[in-house]
Amino acid sequence: MSDGIVFEDVSKFYGEILGVNRVNLSIPPGITSLVGPNGSGKTTLMNLMTGLVKPTRGRVQVLGYRTDDPEHLFKILGYSTQFDAFPKGLTGFQFIYSYLRLAGRDSHSSEQLAWRVIERVNLVEAAKRNIAGYSKGMRQRIRLAQALAHDPKVLVLDEPLNGLDPLARSEMIALFRATAAQGCYVIISSHILHEVDVISDQVILLSNGYVVAEGPISTVRGEIQEHPTQILIRCTRPRELAARMLEDELTVEVSIHKDERGLLLKTRDADRLYLALNQLALQGIDIESIAPADDDVLSLYEYLIGNEEAVR
Amino acid sequence: MTRIWWAQIKAVVRLEMRKTFFAKRGLWIYVVAALPVLLFVAYALANSRFHHRIAEIAQQGEKRLAYQDLLAVKTGMTREELFAILGKPPESFRWTEHRTSEGTTEGKSETKATSDVLHEDYHYADGVNELFVGLADNKVQSINIREGSNPGQDSIMFAGVFQFFFLRLAIFFGCLGIFMNLFRGEILDRSLHFYFLAPIRREVLMAGKFLAGLLATCTIFVTSELLQTIAFVWHFPPSLRGVYLYHNHFLENAAIYLGVTVLACVGYGAFFLVAGMMFRNPILPAAAILIWEAINPFLPGLLKQCSVIYYLKALCPVNIPSPSDTPPVLALLISNSDPVSAPVAVLGILIVAMIALYASSVQVRRMEINYTSE
Repeated sequence: MSDGIVFEDVSKFYGEILGVNRVNLSIPPGITSLVGPNGSGKTTLMNLMTGLVKPTRGRVQVLGYRTDDPEHLFKILGYSTQFDAFPKGLTGFQFIYSYLRLAGRDSHSSEQLAWRVIERVNLVEAAKRNIAGYSKGMRQRIRLAQALAHDPKVLVLDEPLNGLDPLARSEMIALFRATAAQGCYVIISSHILHEVDVISDQVILLSNGYVVAEGPISTVRGEIQEHPTQILIRCTRPRELAARMLEDELTVEVSIHKDERGLLLKTRDADRLYLALNQLALQGIDIESIAPADDDVLSLYEYLIGNEEAVR
Repeated sequence: MTRIWWAQIKAVVRLEMRKTFFAKRGLWIYVVAALPVLLFVAYALANSRFHHRIAEIAQQGEKRLAYQDLLAVKTGMTREELFAILGKPPESFRWTEHRTSEGTTEGKSETKATSDVLHEDYHYADGVNELFVGLADNKVQSINIREGSNPGQDSIMFAGVFQFFFLRLAIFFGCLGIFMNLFRGEILDRSLHFYFLAPIRREVLMAGKFLAGLLATCTIFVTSELLQTIAFVWHFPPSLRGVYLYHNHFLENAAIYLGVTVLACVGYGAFFLVAGMMFRNPILPAAAILIWEAINPFLPGLLKQCSVIYYLKALCPVNIPSPSDTPPVLALLISNSDPVSAPVAVLGILIVAMIALYASSVQVRRMEINYTSE
């Protein structure tokens, strides 16, 4: 059994419409976010890795399992889809319980697991109510519960934070982090870039069915040559520091921060800049902090895809 | 592994049964299944009233009559001879006919003669059958025996309703409504992914859904068939009921009808399961299968064997005779010109169903969740 989630030259066409094209990916453990505008192929990629759609070309494997083998695949994978429909007439508890029975579990363990996961998503009070009467956030949570119910090694979540209130969002993010911390694979698609930024270990940027970039955010950012890296330097004498930095030929642009307690600097070589700043610090310039200012998903999104549809 | 599959099949059946039995869009299936029951209940009520009346007439008669007594009456008998056999009638009706006869004498003059003819209608009964005797001028002119029961004729009527309504329409459309919706209904509801996200082989899921559909259709239609049988015999007086049940293969035939009902659900269910996966619009495959089944008698031998009705007809215990004046095309539909033996027929249906289920298993493995294209 090989590790990771592997896409080998995968394409998916819906008739003549492109879903994704020539995708080659190897997703490691941790939280991986799929980012891209509507129609970029995020859901198609998730449906491909869960076998809900079949690739027109290429091969997908999840921890060594073929995606056309649901009997084994879904023992290690849980998928919370965007489809907002449920089998009719079921309560939240019955929904999870039935799912576990479908997996071949006995009544007792299904009941225990169902209550455990319902507690995990904080839906105990509503568990005996019909899902048809649930709010959007509750439906989102019961779908998450279904994906989590059997403790999968791979968790695929399509827009999992949609419809959740801020408290529930932070609870869910904590849940994803805890799952990833156990060595699991958590694949999330989201429009909400600042949340993706906070929780992701790596990102996959998609545009028009193509993978534009993939990897840890800082690595991806480092590979974008045409946009100089922005760095925020906090210091007591920003004007003096700005003058010194402009002497460096790799410095593209310097601007003083509004509060006069720092400066924003654009450079073509961040590593050399950090060395130069070390020198300046040794020469007596008081530098409080140095932090990348565009080392986030939003910036990557703007640089690689454009700022349409990005949600901060 | 097999144990897990069985557990999974049971889980699918549990989920599907709830949907199949209580779906609002499936209510019409209950109506279709209830129609022949209502027909036989109406028949039973009418027959029951008839038997009640016959019994009353028999009681009012001067003599206790037997069927042989009714048969002994011949035309030309006098009233006295009739009374000697049957006694005075419990019900009678008299009327006088004024006859005018015109005649010519020597080709010239016309004479008009009038005479009164007394007509008498007598009504007898032996408790089961009734006899209408018409007398004119004191002589028996017409005899009409109406038999209270005719097991042979009744079983043909039952067979006709079974073959031409219950089998070809009620079970056919009932299976269409239930089996086609097993997958298609969930695609329309956008809830099929619930099953596809579970660690269950698609073929096991299909088998579970098929069994659920089969349980539902068998429950509905076997219950309907049982109720039809009960409605058909319950109204007879105990003596006649005994004749029906024990001396006319009725129980045996009833068991065969139940078996044919189950086999029809298996055969049509398998056909409609695969059709529901392959076609978005159920009307087209339903019409195609209906036409295919209807033109079965006209097909060449090999093609005949690829239909369900071919085997079901062969299993039906009562052949429906076609009257001599039946148009040849209709006679061909009624008759079973190329019957096969019962074991071959059962095996044939099972093989046809297995082929359809195999096609379903191939189709279910290929299915994708793409609701937007539906």
